[in-house]
Amino acid sequence: MRKIWAVIRREFVERVRTRAFLLSTILFPLFMAAMVILPGFLMSRSTGTQRLAFVDATSDGMGQRMVDALQAARIGGSAAPPRYVVTRIAALDRATEVRDSLLPMTGRSRKLDGFEGILVVSDSTVTKGKAEYFGANVASFNDMRELEQTIRPIVIARRLEGMGVDLAQVMKSVQGIDLVTNKVADGKLTGESGAATFALAYAMGFILYFSLLIFGTQVMNSIVEEKNNRIVEILVSSLTPFQMMLGKVVGVGLVALLQIGIWAGAATFFSANQQKILGGLGVAASGPMPFTFPSMSPSLLIVFLIFFALGFLLFAAAYAAVGAMSNTTQDAGQLQMPVMMFVLVGFFSVFALIRDPNGTAAHVLSFVPMLTPFVIPMRYSISPLPPLELLTAIAVTVIGLLAIVWVAARIYRVGILSYGKKASVRDMMRWIRTA
Amino acid sequence: MNGSVVKVERVTKGFSGHTAVDQLSLDVPGGGIFGLLGPNGAGKSTTIRMIMNINTPDEGRISVFGSDSSRELSSRIGYLPEERGLYKKMKILDQLTFFGEAKGIARKTARTKAAEWLGRLGISDWALKKVEDLSKGMQQKVQFIGALLHEPDLVILDEPFSGLDPVNSQVMKDVVVDLARQGKTVLFSTHIMEQAEKMCDRIVIISRGKKVVDGSLAEVKREFGGRHVALTFTRHAERAARVLADRSLCAKVDDYGATAEVELAETGDADRLLRTLVQEDVGLARFEVVEASLQSIFIAKVGVDAATAPAKETVHA
Repeated sequence: MRKIWAVIRREFVERVRTRAFLLSTILFPLFMAAMVILPGFLMSRSTGTQRLAFVDATSDGMGQRMVDALQAARIGGSAAPPRYVVTRIAALDRATEVRDSLLPMTGRSRKLDGFEGILVVSDSTVTKGKAEYFGANVASFNDMRELEQTIRPIVIARRLEGMGVDLAQVMKSVQGIDLVTNKVADGKLTGESGAATFALAYAMGFILYFSLLIFGTQVMNSIVEEKNNRIVEILVSSLTPFQMMLGKVVGVGLVALLQIGIWAGAATFFSANQQKILGGLGVAASGPMPFTFPSMSPSLLIVFLIFFALGFLLFAAAYAAVGAMSNTTQDAGQLQMPVMMFVLVGFFSVFALIRDPNGTAAHVLSFVPMLTPFVIPMRYSISPLPPLELLTAIAVTVIGLLAIVWVAARIYRVGILSYGKKASVRDMMRWIRTA
Repeated sequence: MNGSVVKVERVTKGFSGHTAVDQLSLDVPGGGIFGLLGPNGAGKSTTIRMIMNINTPDEGRISVFGSDSSRELSSRIGYLPEERGLYKKMKILDQLTFFGEAKGIARKTARTKAAEWLGRLGISDWALKKVEDLSKGMQQKVQFIGALLHEPDLVILDEPFSGLDPVNSQVMKDVVVDLARQGKTVLFSTHIMEQAEKMCDRIVIISRGKKVVDGSLAEVKREFGGRHVALTFTRHAERAARVLADRSLCAKVDDYGATAEVELAETGDADRLLRTLVQEDVGLARFEVVEASLQSIFIAKVGVDAATAPAKETVHA
């Protein structure tokens, strides 16, 4: 036991000390934060005040009402700078000529005397529902949508007036409903919305998937390295293969937990202080979609940790066996395909089953040891499972884990000391039998 | 310690059609230094790896301390493999501490001992450096310490002196001799005969997987010796060469120009050789009936062909 502990400590300490660990621990949250902040940041920067030439070919004063609406529009709150600076040019029958004369001054956004765009509105805007815009920023979806949304109510109001209908009454009658989702678990309100629950289910699957790909591969590669520089001969003369393998898998697993723990902590902190951070960076709070980080109930956290641990051990043992069979990391890259397939299938089963977490497929896949660690936390997060089913799933995974560790340990025991050619499937079967 | 510590009985091991070790038997008694000698590719490392239970023999039986599995006895055995391996990114002291812990000694003890050993071998300054910053010789010392840290009763060293300069191999040799003095058993392999001759109590020479010489160094020499004469002459080297070429007198001559080592023929004797040389007036400066050197025994038993390669690599101890 003391020997296993020594191996675990070596794996853990030596990994955490590396610059790679430090960098990935810091850079990953920064990257994620950038993904959340940047779009909002860029969006708020691109939408400065725009100079607009308004070619008014309307005969009933509707043009002026639109100009008023445009001038009233603000960027952000009511104290913010105006969205548009509008120059109205009356051009009852000469709309095309006026437009043509304005074109040379348009689209050169940096020039103070020019316009970003020309909006042409005529009486037919009401009858045919068409207005024309000329500008360099026509590809900007947001700019166009905003412009359209500003003038649309004026046109609608004008039409309704023509029909003798009161605008206020219409607005009231077309108001839609907003379905507010509130998750109930164990007969209690959880305070989570449906979207947050989905996000959480995905996130748990992703964390396991990601950890297996990153840290499973680390287990594999470090075994290949130990084989290559022959440290394995010294280790074998001191430790049993079981001690070596278990120590490595647990040590690397703890590194994974530490890193994920740091990330989860950073994410919780970030989402709790999102408004402050965004505000501090000068990004309008209305810019990006406010994202609420779903909170995990203690029981879900426990279920997740149990299955994370089981899943990690199970797959890491398989990766260890692959490492022991290989002589170079290239060999290992090829040999790991079958293991990787299971990781991928497990991860994608989360996506597939989330629509119907209590269907037949979900029930069946809950009892496939390689997939259980992915499926159960997802199902549990959506609706808690009956204790019996949960315990059965744990039992099945533990049995699967023991079986895989048994096979992997046998492959490992022989594989670590066979150099030279890459092991074939037949070699592997022989090792399992003879070890 | 009495009786045999390592017993190898009629062991055979082959690798893809070629027999590396062929019906080999060894008996390493407790205490003292046991040399496993042989040219490159003779099967020394394979034998050691089988003793360490890294490879399993195809036939035959190996026991260490009377047990079949040396892995269970790992705390009593220290092993320096032929191909040296260390964790490149780890600090020396941490690494040695880990090796000690892996052998089952407490972390603190391991650390203290490692520091002591680093001092003894004169590399204390490097204790907190990473392995990758060390020269090859220093890495070898570190690994050597790793094999001895847990004070094993049996130390198995595969080519411990290869690649070391004279000063460093002297340091390591002193450590090995000291171990034997403390009553520990040292089994080491080498192809450098001068070293083996100075250090070993018992030797086994193997060639092409087969044992060709086995016994205590004194026995081996006695069995082989008495028929060797060392000569130095000061003039008329061509006349001397003619005398030495007489096959009724000298069976084999190791001629170095002004000196020669001669193995007498069955029909010749030392007196007749001396008389003849005096008659030829070669200005004898030395005429000595000597024990055969291990080198000459090695060459005689293994054959000149098999020994050429190691002779070139010979490093002074």
